[in-house]
Parts: sequence; C-alpha cells; structure tokens
Amino acid sequence: MREMNRSRLDDMVTHLRRPVPCAPSFDARVMRAIRAVARQPLRIITPFVPRWRVWSAFAAVAAGMLAVAVLPSVRRVQGHPVQFVLVAPDAKTVQVVGDFNGWDARHAAYAAENRGGGVWSVTAPIPPGHHRYAFVVDDSLWVPDPAAPRVADEDFGLPNSALVVENTP
Amino acid sequence: MDGSADALIVERVLAGDVEAFATLVERYRDRCIRYAMHMLGNREDADEVTQDTFVRAYRSLGRCEDPERFGAWLFRILVNRCRTAGARRARRARTFLDDEAALLTAAEEHPAEQWAWREEIERALDELRPEQREAFLLKYVEGLGYDEMAELTGVGVSALKMRVMRACDRLRVLLKEARSA
Repeated sequence: MREMNRSRLDDMVTHLRRPVPCAPSFDARVMRAIRAVARQPLRIITPFVPRWRVWSAFAAVAAGMLAVAVLPSVRRVQGHPVQFVLVAPDAKTVQVVGDFNGWDARHAAYAAENRGGGVWSVTAPIPPGHHRYAFVVDDSLWVPDPAAPRVADEDFGLPNSALVVENTP
Repeated sequence: MDGSADALIVERVLAGDVEAFATLVERYRDRCIRYAMHMLGNREDADEVTQDTFVRAYRSLGRCEDPERFGAWLFRILVNRCRTAGARRARRARTFLDDEAALLTAAEEHPAEQWAWREEIERALDELRPEQREAFLLKYVEGLGYDEMAELTGVGVSALKMRVMRACDRLRVLLKEARSA
C-alpha cells in the first residue's frame, strides 16, 4: 500500500482481519444438511482427460412429454422427462449427474443405456428450472455434454453443462 | 478439534465417515464466514453461502484432486458461490449494524467511534466493484499471493494486480472523504 492514507487503509485491513463471530448453531446446521445428502457413499471422480473420443452428441438434451412410469429409482425426482444422449463408443458405463440428483453417480434413474453404435441415452425426470449437469463415463471421467451450453459458474474447476426445463404442465 | 491433516480427514469422509467432515467445518468456517460477510455485506447471506459451500464441498469431495490443499479448494467454491450470490442479490445496506453477534463483539472502549469506523469501512467496501472487492479481500484480508489468487479466481495475475491497485486507490479516496465529511 502506498504512503498516502496508509494508516487508515492499514487500520481498515486490521479491522477486516478480525474474526466475524459465528452463530453457535452454525456447525450443527451444516452437519445436518450434510447428513441429509450423505445417503450414498462418495466416489472418487477424476477430471476429464481426453483419452476418450466423445464425439458429437446428436441430441444432447430434449425435453419432452415421454412417460417415465418405470424408472428403477429408489429416490424419485419429480419433474418433466428429459432425454440425455452421449456418444461414447468405448465407454462401459455412462451416468448423468447434476444438481437435480445431488451429483450422485450411482442414482439408478440416471444411468444411461447403450443403445448401440456407442450411443448412450437415458430419459429421466428433471424438475422445472435452471440446472447444471455432466456425464460420468466409466465411473471416472467427468464429461460435459458436447452439445449443450457450458455453465460459466464452475464450482469445482470442472466444466458443467446447462439445462433449462420449462415450468409447463 | 481433530489435529489430523486435511488429507487424512478427507480420506476418512470418502471412506464413509460422514461425521469426520465436522472437523473440516470447524477448521474452515470462521475464515469462510468472514470472507462471505465482507463480500456480501450481509450476515444472513454470508451464513447461507458458507453452508452451501460446505454442502457442495461434501458432495464433490471425490473431485478434490489434492486433499492436502482442501482449504484452498474449499475457498475456490466459496469465492464462486459469493460471486453467484452477489450477482443475484444486491448488498443490503448497513445490515451489519443490525447484526446481533456483531453488536456483542463491539463492546469496546469507545463504542460510538467504533460504530462510525465500522460503518465507514462497510460503506467503503460496498462502494467497490465486486471484482475489486474480491481481489482486495483475497490479497489483504486473506493474505493470499497473486499466484494463489489467480488459481482460485481463474483471473490472470496482471488483471488481479490492477484490481487490487484500483481497489486501494478507491478506498484511499473513500476513507479520506469519510474523514473530511
């Protein structure tokens, strides 16, 4: 900091460095929220490394009115059926993760099936609103949807894709 | 507090010990709340953003590439959450003075002067552009180096230096104005 007003600016910084008191219940509140999301074991997922040829997805996300009466899910997510498609010829498993399923890479309702020719797809219910999502290939590779817009706000240094589901009946 | 290194705690949480995460919350919450409070200017928003940061960190713990630097990784999430929250909500002016916890800690020798000073600081911070406030707080309050700041914010070192310099220049003017008012 330069000389002019040095002391006042320094005083300001000293003041700002002081601890801000935390509500006594804060830790308990955070842990309650964490226990609520701790229903599935965590998995180690490494960032995307381009050893996979995840080439053009022909229809990344298409909201529709398809019936999804028989989704093998323990935890149901209410919302409109949305189809996710990824072309990944060498993949053994493809899973959709997003804020709508708690980024859970084991949620059965979001496990894509191989439709042949390396085309993986799954139709799953997504609540109306703005969402972020990605694909997890072979339990280890984090892959944004090549055909969907990227989300500018990256929480963890990994790119996600954007999805908007209209609030229509 | 558990004195284990962050990496060991992360390992325990990943192995299924959810309660071990409480140690990380206890270890980092004060710093997180302080930063969020100064960035957002509102206690309620700061608490909400900090809680959200911990929950997001827990959910994505498997994506923490370097668990020994859990704190830096957590702070990166926090900075992004503050950006998002700041873009959504305007800073609520002077709610700092209504904060009960802050009131309790302000019982110092000259409360009137303390209040005036606190208010002056809050107002000056509020006058900064968000990106300047972010750079200033990271540099001078959190004590980060420019390389760390660049890694955390995704902004180049030159741009960060410029933001810090402009923030300091603006604060000097604001503090001087407040003094002469």
